[in-house]
Amino acid sequence: MNTPLTEPLLEARNLVKHYPVAQGLFKPKALARALDGVSFRLAAGGSLAVVGESGCGKSTLARQVTMIEAPTAGELRVDGLDVAQASREEKKRLRPMVQMVFQNPYASLNPRKKIGALLDEPLAINTALGKAERRERVLAMMERVGLRPEHYARYPHMFSGGQRQRVAIARALMLDPRIVVADEPVSALDVSVQAQVLNLLMDLQEQTGVAYLFISHNLAVVRHIADQVLVMYLGRVVESGPKQAIFDRPQHPYTRVLLAATPSIEAGGHRLHVPIRGELPSPLAPPPGCAFHRRCPFAIDRCAIETPLLALHDGRLAACHRVGTIDQ
Amino acid sequence: MALLDIKQLSIGFGRPGAPLIAVDGLDLSIEEGEVVGVVGESGSGKSVTSLAIMGLIDAPGRVSAQRMELAGRDLLALSPRERRAMLGRDVAMIFQDPMSSLNPCFTVAYQLMETLRIHVGGNARARRLLALDLLRQVDMPDPARRLDAYPHQLSGGMCQRVMVAMAIACNPRLLIADEPTTALDVTIQAQMLDLLLELQRQRGMALMLITHDLGVVAQIASRVVVMYAGQVVETGALPRIFKTPRHPYTQALLAALPENNLGRKRLQTIPGVVPGQYDRPAGCLLHPRCARAAPRCVSERPALEGRPGSQVRCHFPLTGEEPRA
Repeated sequence: MNTPLTEPLLEARNLVKHYPVAQGLFKPKALARALDGVSFRLAAGGSLAVVGESGCGKSTLARQVTMIEAPTAGELRVDGLDVAQASREEKKRLRPMVQMVFQNPYASLNPRKKIGALLDEPLAINTALGKAERRERVLAMMERVGLRPEHYARYPHMFSGGQRQRVAIARALMLDPRIVVADEPVSALDVSVQAQVLNLLMDLQEQTGVAYLFISHNLAVVRHIADQVLVMYLGRVVESGPKQAIFDRPQHPYTRVLLAATPSIEAGGHRLHVPIRGELPSPLAPPPGCAFHRRCPFAIDRCAIETPLLALHDGRLAACHRVGTIDQ
Repeated sequence: MALLDIKQLSIGFGRPGAPLIAVDGLDLSIEEGEVVGVVGESGSGKSVTSLAIMGLIDAPGRVSAQRMELAGRDLLALSPRERRAMLGRDVAMIFQDPMSSLNPCFTVAYQLMETLRIHVGGNARARRLLALDLLRQVDMPDPARRLDAYPHQLSGGMCQRVMVAMAIACNPRLLIADEPTTALDVTIQAQMLDLLLELQRQRGMALMLITHDLGVVAQIASRVVVMYAGQVVETGALPRIFKTPRHPYTQALLAALPENNLGRKRLQTIPGVVPGQYDRPAGCLLHPRCARAAPRCVSERPALEGRPGSQVRCHFPLTGEEPRA
């Protein structure tokens, strides 16, 4: 990858997050390696999608980027500032720049607060604006995400799933963030509503220039919204690069498996084949060598011994010993 | 004769004067050994229909139908005792969330053997062997050890395998799977769909797959039933129904999929939302959201017409020759 001239908006270098897990009263604690050396860059106005199965570290990554948790090791730079070294004041300045949209709009909105109050809260906490001014801003944002002014005084239970997700998106955008972390923002929605919300996300990006860190397991959605893709497996990046390269010519066997397993209406006619056996191994005891080798249809002896490193191949980074030697 | 034969099924909840109509005059038939996909958005009545087939809708819910028969037996006239004898043996069901469908207080072996005790009998040792054999059939890794595991010790995919094993324990003639893969990862979903299809072929059982994922249906079903607001709007064989849909709603659903919008900036959407309890429109239920709605659609509700197996509920069905939007 060529180095951008300007500093990226968000940059992670060898980000590590380990969680100690109690094994029992007198046993030593085990370490869950939720993130094990993840590096990526997100440019202003860009869209980076993180894909992988549950347990691969996607949501842990979101918690680091939104500064909810501090990484165990590694460097996370937001707007050029290292989060680990930042002072309280600097962190306070950084936090409004990174906002989050959660997966389940039925759980992420406080049922006791009206929509107006939900959207007002970020402003009340982080700005010195007066009440009337805040109300004006809330109403302007509601219009932008396609909510009507009379919704201001309604409670979340009066809305459908798609409208609630609009509220959640509006709340994330209230402080004019530079980065929005969206953790599976459309997976709880129906197909027709999913399309409406994806269009809204794309429109808002065009208007505000916000950058998306988009976490999803739905590759069809990722293909639509992202420009860079990061494929994760058991806390590590196995393949990352521009969307076109990854979807057209996937190199890592795991990426191929994910693409093959995604149901498509084109496939039709009982064309089923199981591309992969077994399930994600425990992050407490990852397999030696390449973490994917026990499920990989292309594994060789070397894969069980030596952990592959990310290397540039065909316009993207891939961590696989057999990259380039497997037929398309 | 069809294995499952439903005519004019209606299900309502709430006050009889102003009920919430969950299912409105539904016709559905499934042949012996057929794989039928039922698709529709949330609130379209897919799951309620399957619950009615299983007899799981209690008062104040109201189920009525002209005919609702499974293998020639009237499902609405069964006594509770007869129904218990039928559930699990003739028809079985797999639910969406495997983690919460299993009883957390009992082992896998106990829960599998419970079905066998009721329908098969035999002594405990024989039942345990049968349970082990069932786990092998659903490709459970390390089945002997999993017999004595509790649900919380298993992953979501493994719990769903246990659910499938329970469902097929007595060779049902109809297996209803309500969103069996929605809670699973794509890789595990592919394994699970493969397993369901393999079991269906081996045993010749009919499979009714309820899902909102059109891709999943396209992978395994031979016929599709599309539901909207409690009604069937289109039925047809695959791949015809996804290639040339005849109902505007089916077409709009397909057009909203990201995979059908490659290279476009915006996805095509269906404006508006599914009608609720108090705003069910007169005429065609889709007309406020339909781009092709005409005056007749507002005044007159279309009937489900066509030959069995390929029906459409629209005054102006698509012919496949319209220019694409």
